[in-house]
Amino acid sequence: MLFHPISIILLLLTFMVQEFIPGLEIAQFATLFLPVVFFFSASVAAPFGMMLILAFITGFIWDARYLPGVNEVLTGAEDVFGTGADLELGAGSRSLPFGLSIVLFGMLGTLMQGIRPLFKRGRLELPVLMVGVATFVWLLAQYLIITFLRGSLQFPGGVWSKMITDTLLAMLAAPLIFLLLYSLARVSSYEIKYEGLRYRFDGR
Amino acid sequence: MKKLNLLALLLFVAGLVAVFTFDTATTRQIQARVLSLLSPFIHSSAAMEQAASTALAPQVNVTELKRDYDEQRIQLERLRIIQQKFNQSNEENATLRQLIGFKQSAPFKMTAAKVIRRSSSTWWNSLIIDKGSMDGIGTDSPVITSVGLVGKTSTLAPHMAKVILLTDETCRVSAVVEGTKEQGILMGERAALEVRPELHLRFMNRNVNINAGAGVYSTGEGGVFPADLLLGRVKRFENREISGEAIIEPAVDFSTLDYVFVIEMQVAAPAPEPPSSANAKP
Repeated sequence: MLFHPISIILLLLTFMVQEFIPGLEIAQFATLFLPVVFFFSASVAAPFGMMLILAFITGFIWDARYLPGVNEVLTGAEDVFGTGADLELGAGSRSLPFGLSIVLFGMLGTLMQGIRPLFKRGRLELPVLMVGVATFVWLLAQYLIITFLRGSLQFPGGVWSKMITDTLLAMLAAPLIFLLLYSLARVSSYEIKYEGLRYRFDGR
Repeated sequence: MKKLNLLALLLFVAGLVAVFTFDTATTRQIQARVLSLLSPFIHSSAAMEQAASTALAPQVNVTELKRDYDEQRIQLERLRIIQQKFNQSNEENATLRQLIGFKQSAPFKMTAAKVIRRSSSTWWNSLIIDKGSMDGIGTDSPVITSVGLVGKTSTLAPHMAKVILLTDETCRVSAVVEGTKEQGILMGERAALEVRPELHLRFMNRNVNINAGAGVYSTGEGGVFPADLLLGRVKRFENREISGEAIIEPAVDFSTLDYVFVIEMQVAAPAPEPPSSANAKP
């Protein structure tokens, strides 16, 4: 069963490769989120338990690397309302909690599990589209949670252009990741089990 | 659901609960560890970016470089002389302050750092510098350039730090408009990830007369950022429902940052006792 450990190693590698991927200045520094795309693609190929492990690893490292530093819990920000250290230290501008990405990836990974039969048959159209949908939903969910935590619902134009560009880049990269997973499955003679049926995956 | 899947789900939820119960110190430690582990790749990518931009840049003329170098040397000599004068004035100032028992303001030291790269993440405005906790930098330390405030430090690795830019919504500064007593809180716009987005000076009085182009400076009242740092210039003033708001153009161009300075506020020394009349020289 080499497929699963190699998937985890590849996932860890994507975090390293991510550091080399630049952002597009013209689209609000939109970029290809390679670990995320890899996770969504791998969650189609992996069984439920493995998908949860991948979701945990992706979410944990993602939050550790990309969430802004966690602020100390402060009280009394509203009392000083304007000139206190509380506000400068970040009170009233709450960031996403550490670990939230794990929940989001777990939920979206479960959604991706629904299209496993298509992946098994070698059909890429819907899985690629679903990777795009999952990326968009992930970004939108993050944005909505930030909005919920900080108040004042606002959707500047840049938010949409960034989310759409990120999604398109994810959909561009997804077929390559799927092909990589196909090759890996073939090399490691990985079989997909689904709804009690047993199929031998042969890459077609 | 199969037993194995159920077990996996239970383990997943248990892991999730454990992560959500991490305290701030543990979370910061994890973030620092991950940043530290990825730092060789961040350095390599920055080096590659630099090599690519150097290769694409037009060839420099050696004669021109020599002329620039000579000019810089003259400039350096001039600045050294100014620094000597400044040091003398500083000493004189300190002596006079001591004589009148003036309360000494907290001194600060500055650490120069190179900007490695701008971070491309989901909704955060940040960049990475090449100095970290081992270089004496702490969390929430102000980061400045000669032009004005850039932001504050966030996650720290031993020789690397993440800087939350002033344009991020989470970076808030107590600020005052030049030539007035109008104060407010300066903050960025949510998810404004443009190169130079507008800032908002909120919670001001309504119907105040603020001229476009007036400078906006930090007040230092929050204790995080020192006073009198230039933050930007007023573009316009708008009356909101319960308070006024000024739209500010940031002073710093965040797309061209090469070097920055990290300020470490130091604990103020206790004010010296004013000299008593018995000890005073006649």
